[in-house]
Formats: sequence, structure tokens, C-alpha cells
Amino acid sequence: MSDNPVSLSVLGLSLKPGAVSFDQEIRRGEIVGLAGLDGHGQDAFIETMAGLRPPVAGHVNAGAKADRVIRSFRQAVRSGIAYLPRDRRATGIFPSMSILDNFAIATVGRDRKLGLISPAERRKRYDYYRDRLSIVAPDPGRMITTLSGGNQQKVLLARALAHKPDVLLLNDPTRGVDIATRRVLYSVFRELAAEGMALVILSTEIEEALVLCDRILVFREQELAASLEGAERSSERIISTMFGRAA
Amino acid sequence: MTAMATSQPTSKVPALKAIWRQTGFAPILFVVLLAINIFINPARFSPSAWGTLIGLAAPLVGAAIASAPAILGGRGGIDISVGPIMGFVNAIVVLVLIQKLGLTSPFIVVGAAVLIGAAIGALNGFMATILRIQPIVATLGTYLLLVGTTLTILPAPTGTVPVWLKSLGGPLSILPLGAVFLIWIGIRRLPYYDHLMAVGSDDRAAYTAGIPVTLVRFLSYVITGVFAGVAGLMMTALIGSADPSIGPTYTLIAISAVALGGVSLAGGRGGLLGAAIGAIDIFLLQSALTFFNFSTFVLQIAYGAILVIAIVLTALQDRWLGRMRGAA
Repeated sequence: MSDNPVSLSVLGLSLKPGAVSFDQEIRRGEIVGLAGLDGHGQDAFIETMAGLRPPVAGHVNAGAKADRVIRSFRQAVRSGIAYLPRDRRATGIFPSMSILDNFAIATVGRDRKLGLISPAERRKRYDYYRDRLSIVAPDPGRMITTLSGGNQQKVLLARALAHKPDVLLLNDPTRGVDIATRRVLYSVFRELAAEGMALVILSTEIEEALVLCDRILVFREQELAASLEGAERSSERIISTMFGRAA
Repeated sequence: MTAMATSQPTSKVPALKAIWRQTGFAPILFVVLLAINIFINPARFSPSAWGTLIGLAAPLVGAAIASAPAILGGRGGIDISVGPIMGFVNAIVVLVLIQKLGLTSPFIVVGAAVLIGAAIGALNGFMATILRIQPIVATLGTYLLLVGTTLTILPAPTGTVPVWLKSLGGPLSILPLGAVFLIWIGIRRLPYYDHLMAVGSDDRAAYTAGIPVTLVRFLSYVITGVFAGVAGLMMTALIGSADPSIGPTYTLIAISAVALGGVSLAGGRGGLLGAAIGAIDIFLLQSALTFFNFSTFVLQIAYGAILVIAIVLTALQDRWLGRMRGAA
């Protein structure tokens, strides 16, 4: 894993003025977890990597060195970084649009044939992800709000995957999702990593991070408190780091 | 119609349902009002007179269609300067182009109308999306600016129009209307249309989906401006001269028509077909009331009542659709 090429790196990043800066490299095929008490910087970190929030100091690069610095969300998308937002209702779904349109909205340009949108092309793209993520939806023309929370989340994941990203940033992807859907999502995440995608998963559940992630970054007071790998990853260790009790 | 275009409906029922979802109660009202009009005034509504009727209704339909794109963009998006744009185009085309410069070629006249509309639309879009002035205030500014300018260059009605333009005031007014619809059908097949509806539906979600929200909204004002320019030409064709007082009256009726046509004033829902049907409804109501010799004051009361009822009905329809969703 450690000799895989770097997909995303941060250099000298601080999340708030005066905070200790840190460097990180996220490699192809790696699943990195972000943990911490709510509001201790992990949210800020994932949004900074997505280009949604300008870093206080340092920068985020698509790739290894400072060759492709991410300065905006659109630039991040162009550089192959996809982001799945946390609050599905407020910043994810478009309640008045159909399942199909909700899926395609971030990548409508790909449905073009001779410059015009081709519904058949869009349907074909959707069907691929529907099978892959086992989205349970009878008719893609129905409103997105007819779906269960778990299936809405799968549609949003499909929207992010439709970018065919190198790096997938997931902000608490299994919040409010039933256990069966979680299993599907976990196996999809592992498959994606095996295919070479780099995944960063912010999780509010330590067990989830332990099950999924190769490496867990624990945040405390807007600083990176620990990067736990291999046998170091234990829930006691994570919790004590979260509360600042670890050495 | 979105659902029709993007999914394969298994029967005709979902397609009808989609049309209903987009246009609301306007088609029902259309049938009722048409029946009443044909009943009370068979001569005026005989098939041979339809051409004239379309000509009479065209400017209002044009104004309603023009008002829709800015409203679809959501977050208070609205362009109340549509009427004054029509009046301004009317004044410039007749007074400056045709009378002073003697330019009567269709290409120049149509091109000028479209360019004027696009420029004013760009100004509105700049103020509403980049300076972030509340759209209703920004376009109120444009409204007053244009009404004042129009009255300055054209204090009283005057002028004539070339034959080709005059002929567009009759049955041939279907040509500019058709052109606007063709342009819109083209836009619907572009990524831009999906972006506009998404921005109108929820701009924060649109932003995190990577949509250039500001640009999409800005362009919605430009489209509104262009369509308003074309509507100004239709009005010019109908009245056959330059008149500074007619244009501005279209603004509020057009917005009533848009609301009646099932376009949500909150954005993201509805379409130009609904707006057009809403405008035809208002035209039919107008002609029925005029037949009974009601005064224009009564017409105003009727517009106001329609606007309120339309919004209430759209809200009820929303709730009803929501309940169906819950049951499904």
C-alpha cells in the first residue's frame, strides 16, 4: 500500500489560525478514516480537501507534490476529487426532481450526444450504478423523495461515482442508513478501493472506522492528534485520543 | 414533461400526471374558459377567427414565457422589468430603427430586439446574482429606468411598422411564439436546463453537486431578457406603432399567468408550457369579461383574484402530491 502512487496530499495544512499544521498523503487503494469529537476539525478537514473551505494555511494537492493545488470545489471536481456531503436533506438531494435527474445532475455533460442531452444515454449510465449499488427503485422517473433514506444515499453516492473520481471523500455516508444498506455500502467501498480509488471516510461511529479503514486520523481541537495504522487501531486508543488523554 | 423526456412511461397515465404536475390547474381552467367563451361569443371564437385571437394573445403569452426562466432559478428570482423591456424594444424599434434610421430589414429589427433584451437581461442578472441585490429590487430599478427612458425618447404614441412586422400581429404571430418554444425545447435538451431546475430546487445542494450556481442564475436572466425582447416585437406587431404606455402593463399580468400556469414562484418547478397556458387562461378571462362590458377595473380585480387562487391551488396540489407520495 505504501508504494502506491499518491492520489491526494496536504502540505502544511492548518484548520484554524494558530493550530499546528500537518502533512498527509492519501494513496491509491487506501481507505482512510477520520474520527474525532464533533466539531474538532475532521469536518473542516474533509471540506477543505473537497475545496469547499479555503485552508487557513498550507494547501491541498491532487497528486503528490504541489503541482495541482486545489483552490475551489469545481477545481477539485475537475482534478478527480468527488465529495458526498453530510446533510442529505439540506445539501444532497433535490426533492422536486426525479431519481434519474438527481443521479445525473452533477455530470449532465456526459449524457450529451451531438451537444444535446440523450435520455437513453442517461438511463444507461444510471442502470450501471443501480446494479452496482443495488439501488432499490421501481421507476427512475419517480421523485427521489419516494425512496428510503438508504436508497437516497445510494443515489447520491452514484452521483459522486459518476464523476469517475480518483479520490472519494465521504462525509458520514452511513448516517441514518439501515443496517442492510450499510453492508452494501461497505462492500462497495472495499471494491472501489480494490480498483484503485482512494477513499476518505468521515465516520461518527468508531466501529465503522475500525471495520472499514486501513488508517484512522483522529482529530482534536482542530489539529491532527494521531494517525493510527494496523494494530494501533483500537477503539480504546481512538477514544482516548479523541478526549486528549493519550500521550 | 421532465418525467416524460427522461423516463420511458409504461402507460399514458404517468405522462398525463407529469403534465399535470407541471402545469397545475391551468389546462382545466383553459377548457372551462374556452367553453364559456365559445358559448357566449361563437362568432369571435369560430375556427376562422383563431388566427386573429392568437395574434391578440401573443404578446401576453410572450411576456409570460419570458418571465418564467428567472423565476425557475429560485431563491426569489423574478424579473419584473419584462413589461418595460417590451415597451423599450417597441420604442427603439419603431422610433429609432424604422423611423429615424430607416432600417426595416427583419434581420436587423429582430437582431436588435434580441440584443436589447439580452443586454438588459445581463444587467438584471449582474445585479441579482453578482452584486446579489434582491432580484425584485434590482429589476424594479431596471423597471423604473426603462419606463423613464422610454417616456423620454417617446412621450406620445407615434410611428408605423413595415408590412412584414405588421403581418406578424395576425395569424402569423404563431411564428415568433413557435420560435421561442423551439429555442426553449433546445435549451431543455442542454445540460443547462437540468442545472437551472436543480438550482431552483435547492441551491445549496446544487453547489455541492458542482453546479456553477451564479452562472446558471445569471443566464436565466439573460434568457428572460431575450424572450422579453421577442415579446416586445410581438407587441409591436400587434399595435403597429410605438406606444410608451402599453409595455409596462404586461409585467404583473405575466407574473399572474406564470403562477397560474403552475410555475412555483419559489423556483425549480414548472415550465414554459404551463406559463403559456396560464397566459391564454388570462386572455380568455379577459375576453369573456370584456364581452359582458365589465370595466377594466373589474378586470384588475379578476387578475388579483386569479393570482391568489392560483397560488393556493398550487400549494394544495403540492400537499396532495405529497400525500400520494406518503401513501406509495
